[in-house]
Amino acid sequence: MKHITSVLSLILLLQCGVFAQSEDEVSETFSNIHVINGHSTQTLKKRQWRYIIAHRFGDALGDKGGVQSAFGFDNAADIRFGFDFGITDNLMVGIARLKGSGPYSSILEGFAKYRILRQKEDNSIPVSMAITGTGYGTYMSASEDISSVTNFDRFSHRLMYGSQLTISRKFHPRFSMALMPTYVHRNLVEQNDVNGLFSVGGAARIRITKKIGLIAEYFYNIHDTSIRNEYKNSAGVAMEWLTNGHTFTLNFTNARGMSELQYIALTQSDWLEGAFRFGFSITRTFKY
Amino acid sequence: MIQQENSTSATVPIKKLDKFTVTDLELALGGDQPQHYLKKFDDSLARVGEKLIREGKADYKEHKGKLISPYFNCTDCHNLKKEQKVITNKNPQDRLDYLTKNDMPFTAGSTFYGIYNRSSFYNGDYYKKYGSLVDNAKDTLANAVQLCAEYCASGRPLKQWELDAIMHYYKREELRIDDLHLSGKERAIIENAVNQKVNQEEALTLIKTKYVHQYGATFTGAMNENKRDYGANGDPRNGEKIYREACMFCHENSRVTYLELNDDVLSGRYLWRNKEGYDDESIYQVVRWGTYPITGRKQYMPLYTKEKMSNEQLEDLMAYIKELAQK
Repeated sequence: MKHITSVLSLILLLQCGVFAQSEDEVSETFSNIHVINGHSTQTLKKRQWRYIIAHRFGDALGDKGGVQSAFGFDNAADIRFGFDFGITDNLMVGIARLKGSGPYSSILEGFAKYRILRQKEDNSIPVSMAITGTGYGTYMSASEDISSVTNFDRFSHRLMYGSQLTISRKFHPRFSMALMPTYVHRNLVEQNDVNGLFSVGGAARIRITKKIGLIAEYFYNIHDTSIRNEYKNSAGVAMEWLTNGHTFTLNFTNARGMSELQYIALTQSDWLEGAFRFGFSITRTFKY
Repeated sequence: MIQQENSTSATVPIKKLDKFTVTDLELALGGDQPQHYLKKFDDSLARVGEKLIREGKADYKEHKGKLISPYFNCTDCHNLKKEQKVITNKNPQDRLDYLTKNDMPFTAGSTFYGIYNRSSFYNGDYYKKYGSLVDNAKDTLANAVQLCAEYCASGRPLKQWELDAIMHYYKREELRIDDLHLSGKERAIIENAVNQKVNQEEALTLIKTKYVHQYGATFTGAMNENKRDYGANGDPRNGEKIYREACMFCHENSRVTYLELNDDVLSGRYLWRNKEGYDDESIYQVVRWGTYPITGRKQYMPLYTKEKMSNEQLEDLMAYIKELAQK
């Protein structure tokens, strides 16, 4: 309790310092709520809301890709649509529904993100920082196979959680980077898996013009590879295109799913085997 | 359309002129009361009005505040303080210099300070933008406020108590005698007219020359491409003032709009690359035409009339954008 109080006090102090002079704040470190899959330090402003629709298609190449599947366009690995809301300029919440990939389908997601720090131009605050807490629940039909993680013997087996701390810095008007330590917890996993999984993500963004940028993102999972030997680290590249209100992101990743649960814990596709896919997201921001 | 209360002209015993409002003085000299004249002033209501103007909503007694507009506050387009040292000066460059010196934005709209003393609104070419909506707003301040709330701010009509609150705020911010920059001789004429009841008409006429009764509005349209200098002969330092106090006031950190502008090379190149033509990404177009609210994007950019930004200032702005783009 003492530690929690100390942390809350620190956050409060930092808030007072960071947001007292908003004109010094660095903006456009990343342009969207998400980098590619991970959360950026960006939040919606108060009274803004946003609709997002995102797709990940099937393998572009490899055994399941190629011409026969129109380089993956015949298949939808994951589909996410959601609504995000700005509660304050630094606190936002979001809900989404995901098709799901891997063992889980029909996933509902809810998250809250709070921006703790915002980088200042005079470097008195050198980085922006945000923390995101996400909860997932699947309402898919339970499997009759009692050895399956989708047997859902208990309701809690349907629930999963993710926590992500994002630390980002804009080094130059054209160049930003982010570090995204993440923890994913699943209440029930298979025998060759672990319930709690740490991962450290990194991302970089290069802006070609005011409205077009290139992004790269990689998550390194810290786990015992002898147990989780079927899983790969998630890696992706993307091009973003900003308009007044819309943001379009075109990406290639080896991750089939878009939630932390999926792209961190459940990525099995390997870039080197051609098992990467095209994806996109379209967001539209409104005011309410 | 609100009804204004009639009252007889007041006789104000004046010892020291500076303590009195211009309206009181004019009434004392036999002038007509303004169409929106408030006989009784309520400071608590004025404070509610100020909150409405600054924050877009306020609570009042049993009334629960609701946003007038989710897109704009009044202060996005209007300052609340004096915009010129001498308030009759309408020169846009002097206005820019004064606003910059006093850390105020170079807004597209006129200041609310002294609006209570004005008699005409949405003047000049504003009918081109708002059509017949201007008819009822032209000579009635309350109707002008309603037009602004519902259409200019993409919001809703004000409740009567909200309108009353804003009118009381305007009353609080009406012109005082010391705003008029009177010479010693002029003060003597006025004091004499009030206290001795002589030459009152002359004094009244004198007072009326000392403040703005209406602001003109000339829509020039986008400058013809053949006439554009693209900042070649502009003053980039003056343009920087405009960029910071006008463009960045709304666009920095996407405060009002989705288009974010910074004082960096990316913003400079974006604006420089789109300088030609007549679409709404060209500075020449968007400054003079503004943009229009559309479904799903009610935020829009108001235009700058010739009276608020001169063509020379526009070229100064382009000179700074050229510099920002490192061209």
